[in-house]
Amino acid sequence: MSAHHIGSYVAFVQYEIRVTGHLNARWAAWFDGLSLTRADDGTTVIRGPIVDQAALHGVLQKLRDIGVPLISVTQLRSEGE
Amino acid sequence: MANPLVETKLHVPSPRRNLVARRRLHARLQNAADAKLMLVSAPAGFGKTTLLTEWLGTFADEGSAVAWLSLDERDNDPALFWSYILAALQVAAPGLGANAQALLDAGNTPAEVVLTTLVNELRRVDHDVVLVLDDFHVIDRGDIQDGLAYLLDHLPEHVHLVIASRADPALPLARLRARGQLGEIRAADLRFTAEEAAQYLNGPMGLELTATDIATLEARTEGWIAALQLAALSLQGRENAAGFIAGFAGDDRFIVDYLVGEVLQRQPEAVRQFLLQTSVLDRLQGSLCDAVTDATGGKAALESLDRQNLFVIPLDDRREWYRFHHLFADVLRARLLDEDPDAPVELHGRASVWYADNGEPSDAIRHALAAGDFTRAATLAELAMPAMRRDRQDATLREWAHIIPEDVVRLRPVLAMGLVGVLMSTEEPERVDAHLRDAEQWLALAPDARDAAGMIVVDEAQLRALPGAIEMYRAAFALMRGDIAATVAHARRVLAIAPDDDELGLAAAHALLGLAAWSEGDLDSAFTEYTQSIAGMRRIGHIADILGESIAMADIRVAQGRLRDAQRLYEQGLQLVADHGAGPLRGTADMHVGLAEILRERDDREGAEEHLRRGEALEQFGTRQYPYRSRAVRAGLLLAEGDTAGCLALLEDAERVYDTDLSPAVRPVGARRARTHVLQGDINAARAWVRERGLSTNDELRYVTEFEHITLAIVLINDQPDEHELQKVSAMLERLLADAEAGGRGSSVIEIRAVQALAFDARGETASALDALRRADALAEPEGYVRVFAFLGPRLQALREALTTGVARPAAQQTGLVDPLSDRELDVLRLLRSELGGPDIARELTVSLHTMRTHTKNIYTKLGVNSRREAVRRADELGL
Repeated sequence: MSAHHIGSYVAFVQYEIRVTGHLNARWAAWFDGLSLTRADDGTTVIRGPIVDQAALHGVLQKLRDIGVPLISVTQLRSEGE
Repeated sequence: MANPLVETKLHVPSPRRNLVARRRLHARLQNAADAKLMLVSAPAGFGKTTLLTEWLGTFADEGSAVAWLSLDERDNDPALFWSYILAALQVAAPGLGANAQALLDAGNTPAEVVLTTLVNELRRVDHDVVLVLDDFHVIDRGDIQDGLAYLLDHLPEHVHLVIASRADPALPLARLRARGQLGEIRAADLRFTAEEAAQYLNGPMGLELTATDIATLEARTEGWIAALQLAALSLQGRENAAGFIAGFAGDDRFIVDYLVGEVLQRQPEAVRQFLLQTSVLDRLQGSLCDAVTDATGGKAALESLDRQNLFVIPLDDRREWYRFHHLFADVLRARLLDEDPDAPVELHGRASVWYADNGEPSDAIRHALAAGDFTRAATLAELAMPAMRRDRQDATLREWAHIIPEDVVRLRPVLAMGLVGVLMSTEEPERVDAHLRDAEQWLALAPDARDAAGMIVVDEAQLRALPGAIEMYRAAFALMRGDIAATVAHARRVLAIAPDDDELGLAAAHALLGLAAWSEGDLDSAFTEYTQSIAGMRRIGHIADILGESIAMADIRVAQGRLRDAQRLYEQGLQLVADHGAGPLRGTADMHVGLAEILRERDDREGAEEHLRRGEALEQFGTRQYPYRSRAVRAGLLLAEGDTAGCLALLEDAERVYDTDLSPAVRPVGARRARTHVLQGDINAARAWVRERGLSTNDELRYVTEFEHITLAIVLINDQPDEHELQKVSAMLERLLADAEAGGRGSSVIEIRAVQALAFDARGETASALDALRRADALAEPEGYVRVFAFLGPRLQALREALTTGVARPAAQQTGLVDPLSDRELDVLRLLRSELGGPDIARELTVSLHTMRTHTKNIYTKLGVNSRREAVRRADELGL
């Protein structure tokens, strides 16, 4: 399957994942360059384009593995569709 | 399986020092000791593993065997997963799971069969067995979870499964919970209470914290043990504990991350670097750490971390292998990536080299992939492939096939062919075809042109075998598409070019040629090919394959009219399984069904029944053909008992599960059903079958439809044919006979001659009829054929009697009935004429009411009536 082939049906989708606690900005690299924003209510919002469901579950699994409590996962809007 | 890395997976981690005895949780574990499944489900750092090791320690000498398996991501491969489970059980109870292991080693065994065998072995154990699966969350493959659910369902009472996981496993938890078969310990249970936190901090950790400090810490960490541990490490030797605690008590920082930072800050720079760099490893060992850090002193560094309780966990008793606490490792890795984004690539690369040098190709490849070094991964994969394929680690191979980019694979024909096998099984025909074409193009080039075009071959020995491998895959690929001619052409090429030591390739090619010859009706060639295939399979110990091919060979012998030879083949198959000694293998049930069919033909009903029963007991060891074959044999037995309706019902059932698994469909169940309809007198149903199959006496005749055309003749002869129709049937029978005799198909010759006898008889040519029958008998008698004649109805039976008496009487007393009443049915009929009710008749005949009703139903069917009164009247008319 060529890169072109993959590109033709994959559309990055913006997700917003909210977790409990403030994650230091250094974790951005760990989450493959997603942006981290610390909110006043003591939560952190992890936001950015995620290629597909498998990648989304990969991010959630990373959160699970460091024991950060998950609050919500929201799909913002899709691009390229 | 005896390598030290595997040992570490099966090692029950030694209980940690500085523990808080968690009696409240032990009590809960103990209370659930009878549960089938104990689930310890909580996030990282909640002390799941520690709790279990400590609890297992409390009943170490109570005669229970403990099997422990620490899982990691690599184990997400069914072949590996189940062999680790068996290895763990063998550590707990030597010899346990040996039969299941043999099945797994034999390959091609469905997981369910392996598990059934394992369950039987567990059943025989006379003490409790506790099987612990730690870190089960790494397993996300549905087939493994299904297998585990099956195991759980069939687990004997004295075997208990314990699962520790960060996520609930996909097992039927609600059902287990409802049945009281599930014990659970979750995060809320595991977290330290204030009291436990105090015990821990001021006890083993040697801190002297005030009640307020402890309450603050407990509240801030919410009893998360990993966080409390990190806090304790940060507090050790600190002057102002209260100030430090207050420093983070009121904020929202991710506490573990913050505390790891604190701990790291307090380490000498060398230790800090060591921790960060080795965090890319999921197992730590002195020289491996040296390789990765490009320094010395790794072993001492690990021992020092162990002493300081700095989140390393020993994986063996020798304290050679360790791992970081998972949570700690993740935080370290995130920090490493942040400090130097390029570092992990370099570090994974070094780890890959170390593993390759130390004979662990699988780990070497994993680290090469993590380093993004696909060239290196491809090279290592090519070398590791033969062993991986032998051990059938298909899921791992498939993962490689998906991760290593196409353009890397394309340059490597040997690697590509190794991956084709797994791609074929996952039904990715386009990729299979692309790889085959690429490899063929490489081979078409002259050797120097190959180098110039950039072809890469690491395993030169495999290159020699490549042309044969390509042809073999081409042959299998053609067979999948049902293209017999192409299958034969490619299989012949395999025989011509495969090296002599490629036993499996050659044996498989012979089997394919056998299958093709059989499909074309060339029985002798087919048998010879299969014989050669089996000889090769025997040399490499592929017993299950031999059983599968024995079914084909016995079918061929039956077609040739050689029942005794067929019987011997099945008996040899059973002997082979017995000699193998690992219990039944796939195909064992089919051997019994095959024997049952032969005994049924000889009208040895008890013998047939016995083998059917033995086959049923081994049902899970049946091939894909077993379901329909077993039903068809039983249907034949019911017919012999006079239960036509039961026979039909079973044949319909057999038709539903009809699957010849690539073998030619030479005796389709539908045709057998049509013949039964004829016997039953339901000529309309038989005609419907003829229409549905689109059969006619003018058809071109082929071996695969021979049985159906004979059936067509039977239907037409019983459908009040006129002279013209009879002539057409006779002409077709002549053609069928010529073909069958030329093809050496004795079974068909017997049937055709018998049907010819009926045709002659219908035309009033009694002498010719008897002559045809005499010839059929000459072939049938030495092999013990009986039922084949009974299947052709009462008129044929009458003709056979005439053969012995010399007098061709018009068919016996039951004239007018296609299917005569059995003796038992005549008994029932006699009582139906009386005043007795159903239950009384049953009692009179000493049979169950159910059996009596079955007989009555059959009588009605045969007489074509719907009530007792009609039956009696019709019987009077017929003079029964």
